[in-house]
Amino acid sequence: MKLTIDEVAQCLDVPLSTVERWIRQGRIPVGKSGGECIFQKPILEVWAKKHNISFTLSDKKVKKHSQDKPVNLFNAMAFGGVYYGIEGDSVSEVLESALKNIAFLDQDEKETLWVKLLEREEMASTGIGRGIAIPHPRIPLDESMEEPVIITCFLKNPLDYRAVDGFPVFVLFILLSPSIKTHLHLLSRLAFCVRDASFVEFLKRVPDQEKLLEKVENLEYAS
Amino acid sequence: MMISRLLHIFQNTPLGRETLLQAAYFTKKLRASLTIYIPRHIKFLMYFDNDVVQVDLDHSYLVSPDTAHDHAVEIAREAGVEPSFIEPKHFTASALPDIPTDFDYMICPRSISNLSSKLGLGYIGPKVQSIINTANFPVLIASHVYKPWKNIVVFFGGSANAFNALKLGFLIQNITNFPLTLFTYAETSFEAYQKEIADQGVEDELGLRVEDWQFFESGNLTDYLYNVPHDALVILGAFNHGLIRDIMFGNKLEKIQTSITNNLLIVGSRYSAVG
Amino acid sequence: MKPWIYPAQWALFKMDDRLLMMFIGAIVGTCSGFAAVVLNHSLLFLLEWLSQWRQHWWAFILPAIGAALSSLFLEKVVKEGAGHGVPEVIYSVSRYGGLLRLRSTFSRLVSSCLTIGSGGSAGPEAPVVMSGSAIGSNIARFFSLNDRQRVTLVGCGAAGAISSIFNAPIAGIVFTVEVILGEWTALNIIPIAIAAVAGTEISRALQGNQIVFSHKVFAIDMGDIIASIGVAVFTAAAAILLTHGLRSMHKISGKVRAPMWIRAAIGGSMVGIIGLSLPVVLGEGYHSVHTMIEGNFSSGLAFVAIACLAKIIATSLTLGWGGSGGIFAPCLVIGSLVGLAYHRALSMLWPSADWVNEGCFALLGMAGLISGMLQAPLTGIFLIVEITGGYAVILPLIMVSAISATLCHYIEPSSFYLKELVDRGHLLRPGTDARVLSDLSIKELLETDCVCVSQNMSLRDFVKIVENSRRNYYPVENDETGEFVGMLHLDDIRPYLFNRMLYDAVLVGQIMNPHVATVLPDEDLSKILRKMDSQRLFSMPVVVNNRFVGMISKATLLDKYRKELMVQTSF
Repeated sequence: MKLTIDEVAQCLDVPLSTVERWIRQGRIPVGKSGGECIFQKPILEVWAKKHNISFTLSDKKVKKHSQDKPVNLFNAMAFGGVYYGIEGDSVSEVLESALKNIAFLDQDEKETLWVKLLEREEMASTGIGRGIAIPHPRIPLDESMEEPVIITCFLKNPLDYRAVDGFPVFVLFILLSPSIKTHLHLLSRLAFCVRDASFVEFLKRVPDQEKLLEKVENLEYAS
Repeated sequence: MMISRLLHIFQNTPLGRETLLQAAYFTKKLRASLTIYIPRHIKFLMYFDNDVVQVDLDHSYLVSPDTAHDHAVEIAREAGVEPSFIEPKHFTASALPDIPTDFDYMICPRSISNLSSKLGLGYIGPKVQSIINTANFPVLIASHVYKPWKNIVVFFGGSANAFNALKLGFLIQNITNFPLTLFTYAETSFEAYQKEIADQGVEDELGLRVEDWQFFESGNLTDYLYNVPHDALVILGAFNHGLIRDIMFGNKLEKIQTSITNNLLIVGSRYSAVG
Repeated sequence: MKPWIYPAQWALFKMDDRLLMMFIGAIVGTCSGFAAVVLNHSLLFLLEWLSQWRQHWWAFILPAIGAALSSLFLEKVVKEGAGHGVPEVIYSVSRYGGLLRLRSTFSRLVSSCLTIGSGGSAGPEAPVVMSGSAIGSNIARFFSLNDRQRVTLVGCGAAGAISSIFNAPIAGIVFTVEVILGEWTALNIIPIAIAAVAGTEISRALQGNQIVFSHKVFAIDMGDIIASIGVAVFTAAAAILLTHGLRSMHKISGKVRAPMWIRAAIGGSMVGIIGLSLPVVLGEGYHSVHTMIEGNFSSGLAFVAIACLAKIIATSLTLGWGGSGGIFAPCLVIGSLVGLAYHRALSMLWPSADWVNEGCFALLGMAGLISGMLQAPLTGIFLIVEITGGYAVILPLIMVSAISATLCHYIEPSSFYLKELVDRGHLLRPGTDARVLSDLSIKELLETDCVCVSQNMSLRDFVKIVENSRRNYYPVENDETGEFVGMLHLDDIRPYLFNRMLYDAVLVGQIMNPHVATVLPDEDLSKILRKMDSQRLFSMPVVVNNRFVGMISKATLLDKYRKELMVQTSF
């Protein structure tokens, strides 16, 4: 397999000018055809091993990009969907009936997720005040998930959620994300919105999906 | 991104002033920075990637060293450029400094050594030629008298060097926004040139940046050169045909620069086009 | 481009560049061997031709003319600096991958021939080494080889030259590795060995396989070995004396306000005057070495001691005042004179003891002086063994070489060849810290992922930028001119960070640090590191023409430094 000088610089994680200098100084095995430098991958691998240098042909770069893609609240909420009139008299019941509504999880996944969510609630309530709770698993779900989702569930009856300010909770944002990083990112976004008193008032009126998403989008772009 | 740098060897004479003015104009137009070396020794070395060139200056470069620095600053500032100076850090021998070579352009008068005796046209000094042949930066051969340019002309002959010249022309056009004209003194047909341009994948840029393409299929070289605007910067690739052809047919570069007084930006064979 | 001029593209050599190096190494060795033979013959011719006038009283003018001509040749014709060239070769190997000028291939041959042939006290070896190295370098350039290959070929040239001029292949190899390259690897030793063999073969084919200083067999016993320690001490003293003599002469001549060639002429005529009464000091002096080793040098102790001093002075005069040549041959002469004087003194003090022939001590003296002068004990040992064909003296030889080199190293930490290079920081031996630092450039270490902020930005806006970036340092620029005005570190905003009242009241320009030490992109890394250490900084901004171009930090430096070290060492 043949590599170009840019690829080699990337594989060795050094700047291009270093590779150019190594070629000039004859420190790296290279073939020349015309004015172009051509590297043979197997030869380079042997060379790197001999010098104890890490040589990785990185797809990492590509993957990293997808992770770095900014996740926004609007997409996650739109993807998760909004559900109304969730019933239940205790935290566990509410969560169970909320999970029932989720279309993209199968039965097994729903159960494990339910256990995980409850585990988290037992440690400390996710009720962050003003009648809002953000249930989420402590450790992000495994890699099967690609995009983070937020499932919005309006409760039929406000429920004592042992929230920090003691107010009964009327809406759950179930937050599922593939990595801690996106989780924290979404959390901070969500917290930002909730801090806005008018948004909480707006939520209390139980808006329909379209209006809710529109409001979120506006809030996000304003920040 | 690093700012590109132009190297100028300062000569503290009226003639040197013209060259420095030219250098200042060039750097200003290209938004480059001007680096000046004031020689303290009669010779210096330039270590390039695969060769070392010794430049023997003539004595006019060493006259009145006390005023050289002030003069250089004064001239450059007047032209609106803040110069920086290099002091040689390394010496091959005690009176033989090494001048760094990691520049993007270098400006030379037509000849560095024996300047006073060969003021006429028709002569590019052997040292300037060897710098052109070994340097990985293009060399700007300044006209004798400061001459601002408002046009860009690329002599496009179809060799690999010519493509480098063309790409450099694009780059300079992009920075300066001056109109760019292509001159070709045809060796093959117009279609062959177009095909080669398509092969190199510079078609689009050509359409975007080139104002006019003057294509000469017949007539002699001097007539053709008359069409070059007097206020143009001429970019051309060095013709390295080998010694024997030079002796038999004469050096085309020499011929071109005997006929026109423009500033010439010469691209040597080791110049690799900017990405 | 015709493909044949690139042997690197021949199918055979595409397999392995070691074959290519061996092939070109043989060519280089042959060429430099040939250069050595040419110089040797023209020296002999010139000496013979001039000997007809030697008896006249005005003969002292001959070295003056020779030195002046050689200086004129170097200054005006080829426009090269004076000096014997070996430091220049080492310098070029250290810093520029062995690039040498084409004119160096012949310039020193001509100039040293003029100096020595006319009677100047200098040696032809260093000029031949310079020529050989330049030949190697230019052949490498012609074939467009890379730095490592070029350095090896420079070594091949030097090895071929020494091998050829002394008919001593091992000395050629050892000298190259010990003095010129300072590196011994599996990759470079074989081409160098082949070049040494080629050089020796050329010299044998053209002037016969003769041992330069053949002598009788010496019978060495325990007493002689102990006595040889004394030789080491005296040769070390002579080496120091010669080093200082050369240097002080250089300084004195530098103060004379006259053109180079007149200075050379003054030095030459002084040598000539000394030579009128002591002809032993003139020329490269191989003839007198020969008589001394054979034990036929008839003069007494006082004369030998004076001759020894006179030779040191004459050599200093010749080289220090602008003549051209090396110190190898004078070292041999001085060394043998020291050895001889020591032997005479011993026999005078203990006339009853049964000392070995005085030729043996002359030989030990040569080894001692070479080792001391070059601080290269191996070169001294192998050279003397080979040029005298005397393996019998190997034991005292090793003693003398080792002790003399150690003593000289103790007094003068760097050898004659390297002194100037070390002083200017130009000696970059492979695999050393200085080498790695000089190879890395700021361009390669530059971190450009910094976010520039404006001087007039409010703290509120800045905090937003901090939120979205991963660096701790923020360069601050002037809004209008884009000039770099200072640095802002996260620590600087800590006091204001938790007081939201201040977010709009404080501007970046007020809290930044305007007096930061900056770095130029062409500064030496060692200097930058020293700056960082003295000011306890971990990173510094790189600024060109008042514009920020990036950061340079110790963390990146360590990463790149380690990589560079791994690439440069371990073959």
